[in-house]
Amino acid sequence: MLEASRVGVVTEKYPYVSAPAPEGFRGAPRIDTDKCVGCGACSRACPSGALQVFDEEEYRVVRIFYGRCIYCYRCMDVCPQGAIVATREYELTAGDTNDLYFEVKLRLAKCVVCGRSFETERKIRRVLELAKERGVTLNERMLRTCPECRRARLAPKPPKR
Amino acid sequence: MEAIKRSIWVFHLNTGSCNGCDIEILDVLTPFHDAERFGVKLVGTPRHADALLLTGPITRQNIDMVIRTIQATPDPKMVVAIGSCACGGGIWHDSFSVLGGVNELYRLMEEKYGIKPPLTVYVPGCPPRPEAILHAIACVRGLARMKQKRITYVEPPIEK
Repeated sequence: MLEASRVGVVTEKYPYVSAPAPEGFRGAPRIDTDKCVGCGACSRACPSGALQVFDEEEYRVVRIFYGRCIYCYRCMDVCPQGAIVATREYELTAGDTNDLYFEVKLRLAKCVVCGRSFETERKIRRVLELAKERGVTLNERMLRTCPECRRARLAPKPPKR
Repeated sequence: MEAIKRSIWVFHLNTGSCNGCDIEILDVLTPFHDAERFGVKLVGTPRHADALLLTGPITRQNIDMVIRTIQATPDPKMVVAIGSCACGGGIWHDSFSVLGGVNELYRLMEEKYGIKPPLTVYVPGCPPRPEAILHAIACVRGLARMKQKRITYVEPPIEK
């Protein structure tokens, strides 16, 4: 009875004061621009195609479109570099879909044989680093050759059937 | 975006939503979040509404209804696209049976019927938090600023 007669205000004061989302809330995923190597694992795991990885001239573009993201964080699970950062940001209101993009442009290395851009410089360096860590010797020239040229060199003629 | 000073009466338009965003809209209208503080009132017909709360990726069956509803709303009208489905198609973006977001609808409206697209506010989220919807309302009323901006990072030249 006493409990019922008590009067109070339940309404939150939100737009006037900030209201951080609770611990564990899945907000907008951001990309750590120093860690990303542009391998494209995230774009393969993304169920809604919000995260896309494609080549544009001499850059590899890793692009998140928040207007399509479903905040499942699969990209974070598969990222070998741990470059996807979880945030609790939810105030993503925009007046234009153009504002809803997060883009990372990474430079592509050129093939030493044909000069075609094919792989990010960062990824090649990361592979060499990992090989060094594990004591594996890699042919760096082979690593810097695009798949077509590599095939042409290793198997000049297709085998007869 | 120019702030709207009058009360915003809204019409809730479900265009194939999974009900997640609809539940959040109801949540915004409850006493806890209380969107009526800003004059938001749910009305039963688009003819009384200032803004349409559009949820869902716009199914093919719904296209005609959605266009008629947008036309029925008196000017100056506004569309609040709530949820990732309404903003860009969400998980259904490549499905055969949906348009995939209001932008596709606007393109269709302009190309086929010559209707100019109304002012639109996008609220991404799957579903968006009630606070996110309140933030959108606050942005429309001029109480808050839109924080989200396009971020482009270009890697500086790498030395050999």
